[in-house]
Amino acid sequence: MTITGAWVCLLAPLAGAIAITLAGTRISRRTAAYISTLTTFVAFGGALVAFLGLWATDHGDREIVSTAYTWLESGDFRVELQILLDTLSSTMMLIVSGVGGLIVWYSMGYMAGDDEERRYFAYMSLFVFSMLMLVQAGNLLLLLVGWGLVGLASYLLIGFWHHKPEAVAAAKKAFVMNAIGDATLALALVLLIWETGTLTYLGVFEDVDGLSTTTVNLVALGLLGGAVAKSAQIPLHTWLPDAMEGPTPVSALIHAATMVTAGVYLLVRASPIFEAAPDVQALAAILGAITLLVAGVIALVQWDIKRVIAYSTMSQIGYMFVAAGIGAYGYAIFHLMTHAFFKALLFMTAGVVIHHLGGEQDIRKMGGLRGLMPRTHLAFLVGALALAGIPIFSGFWSKDGIVAAALADGGALGYSLYAAALVGALLTGLYTFRLYFTVFRGEPSDFVKEHAQEDHGEGPRSMLIPVGVLSVLATIGGLVAIPGVWEPFLHWIDETVEPTVKATVTQDYATSAVAVTLGLVGFLLARRAFDAGRQLVTGPAVWRVLEHKLYVDEAYDALFFRPAAALSTALRRNVEEPLVERSLDEIGAGTLQVGGEVARAQTGLLRTYAIALAFSVVVLVVVFVAVR
Amino acid sequence: MDGPDVGWYLVVAAILFGIGALGVMLRRSPLIVLLSLEIMLNAANLTLIAFARQHGDISGQIFALAVMAVAAAEVAIGLGLIVAMARRGMLLDVDQASALRG
Repeated sequence: MTITGAWVCLLAPLAGAIAITLAGTRISRRTAAYISTLTTFVAFGGALVAFLGLWATDHGDREIVSTAYTWLESGDFRVELQILLDTLSSTMMLIVSGVGGLIVWYSMGYMAGDDEERRYFAYMSLFVFSMLMLVQAGNLLLLLVGWGLVGLASYLLIGFWHHKPEAVAAAKKAFVMNAIGDATLALALVLLIWETGTLTYLGVFEDVDGLSTTTVNLVALGLLGGAVAKSAQIPLHTWLPDAMEGPTPVSALIHAATMVTAGVYLLVRASPIFEAAPDVQALAAILGAITLLVAGVIALVQWDIKRVIAYSTMSQIGYMFVAAGIGAYGYAIFHLMTHAFFKALLFMTAGVVIHHLGGEQDIRKMGGLRGLMPRTHLAFLVGALALAGIPIFSGFWSKDGIVAAALADGGALGYSLYAAALVGALLTGLYTFRLYFTVFRGEPSDFVKEHAQEDHGEGPRSMLIPVGVLSVLATIGGLVAIPGVWEPFLHWIDETVEPTVKATVTQDYATSAVAVTLGLVGFLLARRAFDAGRQLVTGPAVWRVLEHKLYVDEAYDALFFRPAAALSTALRRNVEEPLVERSLDEIGAGTLQVGGEVARAQTGLLRTYAIALAFSVVVLVVVFVAVR
Repeated sequence: MDGPDVGWYLVVAAILFGIGALGVMLRRSPLIVLLSLEIMLNAANLTLIAFARQHGDISGQIFALAVMAVAAAEVAIGLGLIVAMARRGMLLDVDQASALRG
């Protein structure tokens, strides 16, 4: 029963994707939307059954492997199509299918009237399936399959509006950046097969102690490369802001709630490998800390409502990397969950705003929406408070847990991470409330007055209900892990991955006091700046650097793209054209010429042929006789 | 064994073959060319049968029969071609039929 639930959870979205694809234009757009939503909720039901079944199981037995069949076999090495159900994967299943179901439902309203709605919902179902495959996989190769498939679904959905050149370019960029991570991940797997001869989690984790330090470090680096690319951490982060060209529900589902957090899942899932390579694990934490600062600063100057939230996503995933890097796995997954709630909520309310204003995303044209869209305003405020880590709201519990764990980790690394995380808390308050004030407070701008469509309320019901549900989750979702009082969530995750660091209750509440103060300072600064009508970043030079996202895109352009392009141009000019191309021309011309000469022997006169034949026979006879 | 020695047969066959080959190479009328070809084939047949008799082996004779069948087929096609040429009013001259010149 338990494991059946897990299989239903995995296969229902796949069935939905196949059904929509095969039905084609025989079903209406609305039917496609219903199929997709329904199958995702069926998956959620399956996940719930699996979760409850696991809950009822004894503590020691909460690790169920179910194998469908042997997928490939080569000598002693075999990979099976198997799923692993434990406390970690069942939590991820609930998050992915639950938040996924809400967002697909929301899409029904958001995408209504689009020409290619059916294609959209088929892709969405494919994505949900791929993501579930990723988290349920029982071995690393199946994880890689899911890893690749979510990348594909992300590519397809970013470029969904293929008539927009920017969307197509963004899709390509995301795909290429992710391919780098996929490659390092695949290399790590090859190394593991080479050294241990197995890819199942349990087998690899048993063998990891027997490997040499170099091997473990290389494997961990490969896994980290995959995680960094998928989770848009520095230095492979540039694709995520551009990915906002896709439809807003896609940004909410793939580029906030689920796919981009796959890297965190991998870090936690493969924690035995990372613990055997402590340097690489520290590197993950450092990359996370750098990303959370850089992304937080860049978010201060962006004008596109979705891009601000995208940078905030990078920043929050940075927190999760810090947590996974210092060994606070429970908090990494906890923040992953609350982040899925409040960030999906923020994206979806942003989507409601964009939908309401006829597709406008520039916050300079927005303003004063509070009076026009009171419910949306409230939902956004909930998301913003959760993001900024204000008490009671979900983000408070998870983020402060991570910061406190950094303090408990101690040492130079721990204290630096602690400082970075606290600065990050201030930045979060700043950019979140800058966005909030600019969009919702003040007087309605002329653009808003002109475009606000008052006749149909704030949006269709299929958009508002999921937003409402997520608002509730973003508010109370953090109450499952209250330090020192009630921590069932952390105990649940700890059963699968034992944390290596744990903050004391004192550290927890002391940290919270500091972090909340900083968040409130951010809020107050943002309000003062808004009231005074100025920006948070005032230096024009700093502004320019931040607006260009620290020139990382330009640097990659100069470092990788242009040398490669110059090299290929040079090769074309100096090798392709003179050698390959011309030699082909020469071969053709030479053949023609020889053919022309030989053709003269072809006189068309029968008697010449007969004479030539007879003469040749005579010559042959003479030769044979002479040789013998 | 009765009759002349096999060498004599070979001499006759060589002479016949030479006549036929010269006919093919020198004459311009397609009919004569065809006839000369037949002579060459029969020269070959003669050698086959001569050797068959010398070795007391019947396969040479059977092979000669096969050559006759081929020759008959060839004549049928060749004569058909010549008739077709004549019907179209073409000169019956193999040097004139040189459309396949390279």
